[in-house]
Amino acid sequence: MGRESHKMKALSLLRSRICDPKFIFKPLHDSPDSNYSKLKFMMSSSITEACNNSILLLGPRGSGKSAVLELVVGDLLVEYPDMISVIKLSGLLHSDDNCALKEVARQLCLEHQLQFSKAASFDDNSQFMVAMLKECGLAHKTIVFILDEFDLFAQGKQRLLYSLLDAMQSITSQAVVIGISCRMDADQLLEKRVRSRFSHRKLLFLPPSMEDSKSILEHVMSLPVDSSLPHDYAVEFNRKVQDILADRRFKETFNKYLNFDSSVKHLLRFLFCAVSCMDLQTGFLTCENFETAFSSIMRQPKLECLKNCSILELYILVCMKRLEVKEQTLCNFNSIMKEYKNVHDSFRTSDYYARNVCLKAFEHLINRELICFTDNRGHSSSVEFRPAKLLISSSELHQGLKAYHSCPAILHKLMDREG
Amino acid sequence: MAIVPEKTASDARSDPNSTPGKRKLRSDGPLIMDSPISSPTKWKSPRQCSSENKDGAVAAKEMVANEGEIKSHKSPSKSMQDSFADKLKWNPKDGEQVRTVKEALHVSTAPSTIVCREDEQNMVFEFCKSCVEHKKAGSIYICGCPGTGKSLSMEKVKKLLVDWAKQAGFLQLDVLSVNCTSLANTSDIFSKMLGLNQPQGKKTEASSLQQLQSLYSQKSSGQKMILMVVDELDYLITKDRAVLHDLFTLTTFPFSRCILIGISNAIDLADRFLPRLKSLNCKPIIVTFRAYSKDQILSILKERLRELPYTVFQHQALELCARKVAASSGDMRKALCICRSAIEMLEAEIRESIGLSEISLEEKASPRQNIASDPNHVKQEFDAVRIDHVALALSKTYRSPLVDTIQSLPHHQQIILCSSMKQFRGAKKDTILGELYKSYTGICKSSLIPPAGILEFSNMCRVLNDQGLIKLGPSREDKLKRVTLNIDEADVTFALQGIRFFRNCLQ
Repeated sequence: MGRESHKMKALSLLRSRICDPKFIFKPLHDSPDSNYSKLKFMMSSSITEACNNSILLLGPRGSGKSAVLELVVGDLLVEYPDMISVIKLSGLLHSDDNCALKEVARQLCLEHQLQFSKAASFDDNSQFMVAMLKECGLAHKTIVFILDEFDLFAQGKQRLLYSLLDAMQSITSQAVVIGISCRMDADQLLEKRVRSRFSHRKLLFLPPSMEDSKSILEHVMSLPVDSSLPHDYAVEFNRKVQDILADRRFKETFNKYLNFDSSVKHLLRFLFCAVSCMDLQTGFLTCENFETAFSSIMRQPKLECLKNCSILELYILVCMKRLEVKEQTLCNFNSIMKEYKNVHDSFRTSDYYARNVCLKAFEHLINRELICFTDNRGHSSSVEFRPAKLLISSSELHQGLKAYHSCPAILHKLMDREG
Repeated sequence: MAIVPEKTASDARSDPNSTPGKRKLRSDGPLIMDSPISSPTKWKSPRQCSSENKDGAVAAKEMVANEGEIKSHKSPSKSMQDSFADKLKWNPKDGEQVRTVKEALHVSTAPSTIVCREDEQNMVFEFCKSCVEHKKAGSIYICGCPGTGKSLSMEKVKKLLVDWAKQAGFLQLDVLSVNCTSLANTSDIFSKMLGLNQPQGKKTEASSLQQLQSLYSQKSSGQKMILMVVDELDYLITKDRAVLHDLFTLTTFPFSRCILIGISNAIDLADRFLPRLKSLNCKPIIVTFRAYSKDQILSILKERLRELPYTVFQHQALELCARKVAASSGDMRKALCICRSAIEMLEAEIRESIGLSEISLEEKASPRQNIASDPNHVKQEFDAVRIDHVALALSKTYRSPLVDTIQSLPHHQQIILCSSMKQFRGAKKDTILGELYKSYTGICKSSLIPPAGILEFSNMCRVLNDQGLIKLGPSREDKLKRVTLNIDEADVTFALQGIRFFRNCLQ
């Protein structure tokens, strides 16, 4: 029992690390060039120097913008207690100006323990916001506005952005506006008056390079040697991890995975999957864990569907493909049957089934959505006359046939003939 | 709201233990009555009395006095350079000094004199003066690009007019400042005007506009003149342009009392939206605020830095900044922002050198002796913002993040961009996702890379759409979505030129 529990402990430690953004982005704290340090420096200098600032965080989805911002805000709240109040708005919810101002007023009331009235008008809310900015300015408190999905605020008349950025132009207010967006041209979407008031500081969050991804992996997977886990076990675990990282097969899988999407979120998803596949009997990670994770994430549903098809169904699909290649415009069950007969006649195949069996197979394919009908007008004509089309591309079909366990060679020949 | 007096702020600054104080709310310097909008060299800032370095202040005061005397002999630029030479060295490692400089360069710090806009201010001021003297209404329309000093100048003119009216013995002027973005309804502007006239706020049957119109059609003695400054006038433009029209025609009524100053960015607002005003003979006077030229930007920056007792920028650095900003937009806010950015570059450099020197000290202390001396680690004099700092700040502001983004995209997404470029080579500018997938698999096959499945492919296209690199149209079926390239093809070619695979691909 005791031996089991430390492996479980190791597994839950790894899992909790992957889900904790603080742990993932910690190695970046030390380098002064990182976005964390730059953002922290900008915000802390705005707070201590009491000057207004606006920053834009840009980067693809899942590259850690919100995570790093949360870290910085958390650190600043500890360093400068009572000098910051944070207001969060989201472009998905508050892109309408009335709604946004109401939300700003509500959050300000919440922060400062004031009564918030739902019946306040747009005018009242905006006057309240301006008055609060003045008051906080006098009291040396900085208000940090975090605008998530910044590009959605730039739709319409951009009144909220204008009033926020304009309030920052006056000497009485002390505020920092931080916009987060995944559009690279977010600041081009702003009107020219709003863009003029925006201070053009941009922090780019780029996905990590291959080496950086490897070092993140190493950082997450290395168990701490001097902790509650048994020393030998931790050392052995780390050694196995190093072996995996040096393995050529792993490198191939890793590169293949990151070639599709190299953001941090994608990487973490892969790691979580792999760690969850860890064999609890041995308690160590292996290369196979990573390969299982890869195949479970990069699924191709249509190919899996093909694996379960019968030979007759494969024949029907190949016949439809041939009709498509011959550019025959009408493709319904009857024409497929004609083609099937042709194939049977020219190649003398052994798999020739009766018409009603083929109809059954055809309907089966419709149910599995490998084929669909092209007319949406209803079931006016019978199944045999309605036009149909393939929902699976020729390359997928090709791949599926190759992977099929006992595919007759004739099908390969038929597919290859089209080239 | 208490106004922080100057004395306590300076005390706070000299006390090292106090929290960083709030910036002083400045009061204006003494006004010179004969020429209200004076050129800056005749006027000395009272702030110099409270600067931190007492000796520096004395020296600076003497220097400015000298400068005034010798101004007549030397050309302006030369005397400025002399004043640079005479000033003290700036110590950027001192946090307090850096803070003062950044404050002087901040956009929200309104300078006490507004240089380079004297002509425009004079024009408006004279017009308003004549309106007040003859008790007639009038309208002015001020236009110009953002960041050209319109609102700032109007604030100044407002103050001057109120003071002048008081001095010249006219009835106290009512001033109303409205920013049209804060109006929920466009016709609220009339109720704001009415609120000024009738503080009781009687709610009668007629709308505010009608009340104003009836008010201005009747003679009533002892009525005060109203000065209205309406900012961001184009927010009042409605479909039938009624509100804008009515606002300007209020000045044509026989007993109208308002001087209307409208500010906007559109140069031809009056021509486009108010054609009937011409026939009514009440077309507003148009004052255009041109974008700043390089010399103007340079003189404004120098004016802001003049009040400081030390030299912050090298002359070429300021000139580079002014030149670049004038060439691109002539927006003063951008110039100020770039200067502050350059100061931050200098700070970053200082922090890095401190870090390096710490590392080298540690290495010296360790028993391992053989360290090749770092050629870059020379004791650098950090005393002014150099031209390379400004160049770095400029490149950060003006460079779009596009090239970096494309270069850091994962491999397959770059292939998608290439295949879309190949598709749109000819006259066709858009295609559907299914076609793009075919092109993508073609490129992958030709270079023996296994292509992604259609599901993964449409995921990647969605990611590219979120980033704004391609645009996906709506459709019920994934394969039928329309795809267009949202960025310039030259950018993609430039970004991917370093990789041979893509170079061959794009040929």
